[in-house]
Amino acid sequence: MESFVSTGVIGLSLGTQYALLSLGFTLIFGILGVINFSHGGFYVLGGYVAYSFSHLAGVPFAIAVLLAALACAVLGYFVELLLVERHVNDHLTTMMITLGLYLIMTTGTLVVFGPEPAEFPFPVSGSFRAGGFFVPYSNLIVLGVCMLVIAVVYLLMYKTRFGIALRAMADDREVAIAQGLRPAQMFPMAFALATGLAGLTGALVTPILALEPHVGESVLAKSFMVVILGGLGSIGGATIAAFIVGIVEAYSSVYLGGSKGALTLFILVLAILVVRPNGLMGSEARKA
Amino acid sequence: MNSLSKYGFRSALLTSLLAALPAWAQNCETKIGVLGPLSGGAAAWGLAMKGGVEFAAAQSNEAGGVQIGNRKCKVTVLNYDTKYTADGAAAGANFLAGENVKLIIGPVGSPEATGVKPVANRNGQLTFNSSFAKDAIGTQFPNAFHQLAGPSAWSPALVKAAKERFKITSVVVVAPNDQGGTDVASVNADSYKAQAIKTTEEYYQRGTTNFAPIVTRIMNLKPDAVDTASSPPGDAGTMVKQLLEAGFTGIIGRLGGPGTPEIIKAAGGVEKIKGFYWLELVATEDPAVKSMLVDYQKVMKVPAPDNTLLYTAAAATRMVLKAITAAGTDADATKVAAALRGLPAEDPYLGKGVWAGKASFGLAQELVFPVGMGLVADGKHLGVSRLDLSGTK
Repeated sequence: MESFVSTGVIGLSLGTQYALLSLGFTLIFGILGVINFSHGGFYVLGGYVAYSFSHLAGVPFAIAVLLAALACAVLGYFVELLLVERHVNDHLTTMMITLGLYLIMTTGTLVVFGPEPAEFPFPVSGSFRAGGFFVPYSNLIVLGVCMLVIAVVYLLMYKTRFGIALRAMADDREVAIAQGLRPAQMFPMAFALATGLAGLTGALVTPILALEPHVGESVLAKSFMVVILGGLGSIGGATIAAFIVGIVEAYSSVYLGGSKGALTLFILVLAILVVRPNGLMGSEARKA
Repeated sequence: MNSLSKYGFRSALLTSLLAALPAWAQNCETKIGVLGPLSGGAAAWGLAMKGGVEFAAAQSNEAGGVQIGNRKCKVTVLNYDTKYTADGAAAGANFLAGENVKLIIGPVGSPEATGVKPVANRNGQLTFNSSFAKDAIGTQFPNAFHQLAGPSAWSPALVKAAKERFKITSVVVVAPNDQGGTDVASVNADSYKAQAIKTTEEYYQRGTTNFAPIVTRIMNLKPDAVDTASSPPGDAGTMVKQLLEAGFTGIIGRLGGPGTPEIIKAAGGVEKIKGFYWLELVATEDPAVKSMLVDYQKVMKVPAPDNTLLYTAAAATRMVLKAITAAGTDADATKVAAALRGLPAEDPYLGKGVWAGKASFGLAQELVFPVGMGLVADGKHLGVSRLDLSGTK
């Protein structure tokens, strides 16, 4: 029973991490129509920025995490403005741009920080225990922060004029422009929000897992799976799918083993996509 | 007359300049390729292998280069990051073929070895891998060599010693679910079972970054020991970190590729470890072996990588360089391979070894030197004991 509860907490923790990552990924697709292959790169960059601030410059971890999110957001803003903006309606070109950007980011971190995993431990160690139930404090903190950030993103998207404007752009760009919204102003902001979320996740999560230049590849793959399952461009879908993936991954890995667990997850995703080809909450075609 | 004396002066100047250059610069260049993961979770292995090859090459160059017939050739090293994948290694072999490199040290692991063997065979290249795969080399690939002893040679003895030391009654052997993991973990598991230790094999998807579910599964089994076998060092470090956070208080084992520093780092230092046993690919506390670190620092001007693949790769390179001299060519891998088979297995640092592999692979192309067993008990490093494998067939 304790193991069942522990697994549930692990699943929730994985779910919140996947949700944060996938929200950024799906925001960029939903609003700009761009599949951002550099998303994993911003996750890695967030980790390395936080590592540099906290371990090399001695900045407290919490501030280093915020600075990492900010740095990734600023970089994302300029990437959109300078590289993506002029090709925003050309899917193939934007895919190539973001893929190239990912390679540059990975190689850049490799050159600067070296190929081996950085020694970047979470500042809080130990576990909360009750009988056979345990959960590391680091996981609880990450879980709490991720949930808080997801709530903030939801408030931003559904309760502010900025969020409503972004959703209007995602819904129907032509009508939104006719209403006076300016893509050239909104798109870089949306991109910055998404890359900031990826950077924040990287800064929070890499200390409890591992930080090395190529870790973004598996992150991108997982984000892709979550976003496809949730429905490309759907914020709600991505969040629900992230928790499904996290919880199924945790329970299937614990009770079936690492190999069969991964297999179960992929079979489930495939089955859902057979029944709902556009994902859990995806619309038939993207309008914008 | 005037122009003649000018011509004579120029000739003399040119001759003296040429004489001042190292002997090899007048002659030729021998290229040695390195294939291994130079980035990612297994980078520690690839970087150590690269370091070993570069060190052996630099030492050879200090001595004037490698002798090929009547020429002395400068040894240069070309490397390729395989990212620990079969396709990466195959692409690396092709890249090196494009650079006219016929002699390759590496690749490191089983996925790479599987990918590289047919490609290197087609390219007419000699390889010297360090994979623990059950088919790391074989009769269908006569130019493929193996630079260290496989798990069947050392696993039974190390498991027996670990059981005696830590009184282990149950163990979980954990590794990736591909050939790189299963080929070592299954041999280790058989060794544990032979010692009447309750054994569970646990495999995970390669590329896993969060081991929390696997750790929960392991904790449910309540084992005395967890052997991380041939999990990449980065994975092993993360796993041990998460195991300790989950409250694991048992013994950690590492009977596979080198990954000791990563595990000790993840645990927060030797003093925080209750028990830890591991394979060292060489007897690291032998004075001759230790002296290689000093020489490395002297020659390369940087500290040596903290990974024992450094030694086996350097020894393999020295053997290949000797074989080039014996064969009188560096362009024909088959001739170099034939010469290599005829050389005694010995190394200035690792001592006398044996050519083994007949029993496991069908051909005696496995370069075996003594290995070591490292021990940490109750927060104290108990050193590395030497294990002689000269009886390996």
